[in-house]
Amino acid sequence: MKFTTLDELRAWLNHLAQEHDLIAPRDVDGHVLYRPVASSGEILFDYERPELSTKDYFLPATEVLLRTERRGGDVTLEEVLPDRKQVLFGIRPCDAQGLTVLDALFLQQEPPDVYYRHHRERTTLVGLACPQMWEGCFCTSMGGAPDDPTHLDVLLTAVDGGYAVQVVTEKGAALLEGLALEEREGEPPPQSLPPQSWGGPRGGAPKPVPVTPPEKWRALFEDGLWQRHGERCLSCRICTYVCPTCRCFDVTDRVVEVRPGLTRIERIRAWDACTSTNYRRIAGGHNPRPTKPERLRNRFYCKFCYYPEDFGPLGCVGCGRCIVSCPVNIDIREVLRDVAERSGE
Amino acid sequence: MSTSEEITREIRAQARELLESGQVSCIIGYEVGSRGRARPAFVHDADDVERLIWGPDCVHNLTVYLHDFKKPRKRGEEPPHVAVVVKPCDSRAVNVLLAEQQIERERVFIIGVACEGVQDETGEPAARCTRCDDRVPVVYDVLLGEPPQVSPVEDGFADLARIEEMSPAERLAFWLHQFDRCIRCYACRQVCPGCYCTTCMFERDDGLWVDIGIEVPQKYMFHLGRALHLAGRCAECNECERVCPMGLPLSLLNRRLAREVETLFGYRAGREVALSPLLFELGEEGSPI
Repeated sequence: MKFTTLDELRAWLNHLAQEHDLIAPRDVDGHVLYRPVASSGEILFDYERPELSTKDYFLPATEVLLRTERRGGDVTLEEVLPDRKQVLFGIRPCDAQGLTVLDALFLQQEPPDVYYRHHRERTTLVGLACPQMWEGCFCTSMGGAPDDPTHLDVLLTAVDGGYAVQVVTEKGAALLEGLALEEREGEPPPQSLPPQSWGGPRGGAPKPVPVTPPEKWRALFEDGLWQRHGERCLSCRICTYVCPTCRCFDVTDRVVEVRPGLTRIERIRAWDACTSTNYRRIAGGHNPRPTKPERLRNRFYCKFCYYPEDFGPLGCVGCGRCIVSCPVNIDIREVLRDVAERSGE
Repeated sequence: MSTSEEITREIRAQARELLESGQVSCIIGYEVGSRGRARPAFVHDADDVERLIWGPDCVHNLTVYLHDFKKPRKRGEEPPHVAVVVKPCDSRAVNVLLAEQQIERERVFIIGVACEGVQDETGEPAARCTRCDDRVPVVYDVLLGEPPQVSPVEDGFADLARIEEMSPAERLAFWLHQFDRCIRCYACRQVCPGCYCTTCMFERDDGLWVDIGIEVPQKYMFHLGRALHLAGRCAECNECERVCPMGLPLSLLNRRLAREVETLFGYRAGREVALSPLLFELGEEGSPI
């Protein structure tokens, strides 16, 4: 296997940070978040699942799409896409899988989303395998694994004295050119960690979560389970904003400056959430999803019925963030088990 | 002092009686959640009362759900009668909602619980409990449990000194740094019993104050605006701070204003039954209302 030490890794990252926007897990006031870093000294190498996914670096929470300026009779349009390359270091395999889910909509449909594609193309993903699964994690039920290299460019796995380096793509190989690697005796770390190492805070392997095929969901649309789970929903947006695959956005034009002879406007898009009260409200004020159970049902149908039917992949990677951050314990695993039970899976 | 098991039994018995007699159509209480901690529960059937529990992890302020029961279930019907389990801090929100005519007293059966204080996820006393010495709800129809002995809290606002010692520039920097983490998920607003506007002014399609951007200026406007809208109305249940996924110290804003209101008007929201909200009252300058 290819091997490198932490010191070599730090030197390489410091070098990378000069020519790239380097994004890595960082301690932000006690919260582990993927954030821009100036050097390897700011990076956490031993961390759990960061509290927010990496989608902010591909579908930013707020993104300026274009700027216009009118001076007298002249109108100019300005492109806003950044040109620096981006490296996401320390991305967890579930977050990389989440990007593959987003690709199905933003890249593989015609026309592709030029902004998303731009961010995706200029980014290299250097993953760090999870040493274990944490509370809420169920990636192994969603086709992933704590050390799944599939959706990454490079996968690092902590081993005795340093890191095993697995080159997954050519893009990854190109990025690694500056990193001192040595060949070591021994097998690369296992593709799938043995169950006994999956212990969360309470120990033991997580129970598998059943996924009911999309066509079986239709019959459950009016089932009482949505009322039961939806009643305690607060209609906040936590679950959708922490989710690596929720991707709804809203678009608006905002006035940046107005004075005689000059108007500057920028068009932005910003995250939106189907769980929020007014998300589905239409012209005239009608809201086809006026209640919490209806909105919650939509979120789950989107992930496990509509999205796979329309675009291919499931809209969930089992990262478990929505489970641990929901203030009223709406638990996607519990919903999936209920759906499986009701549909006789 | 009563044990959690005793109070659990009493809540179940009370719930059964209320549902079987038809006095209410739903009990809003607590049940054991999937993570092993309490979560809000809605019990509509007397056969389900065994789901209900009481314990030190019953942190949620359930009065926020009373807004879901304000309208009739079907056109032409009366709004439903509902029962809700409240701790002393939660009960203050009931008084606020009554004063603001959001709920009708006769439609809400209040199951008050004598409170020893609740615990956060780490098992430590919840932040709100370290500054609260209320052991009995301020309003209830039935009180369950024996009020425990408690040593009075000297100054529930003592922690405000932390921001008041800062210069204005430092304080601004502190808050901008905090708001930077905010993801504008609105959980603080959604969990708040006092935030019940049909369309929040910070979420209007034609909003002149803030646009949809999730950036520091919009977040700054939202949090300061929300705090001001809760001045004289915040029941200090601290749910906004508990639910914030980014750990913003939001209660510093709300309680700074609560203390201001107390100093100026001798009024703490929800502590007593009020006929109308504080800011609807007109009085002579300097006179307590």
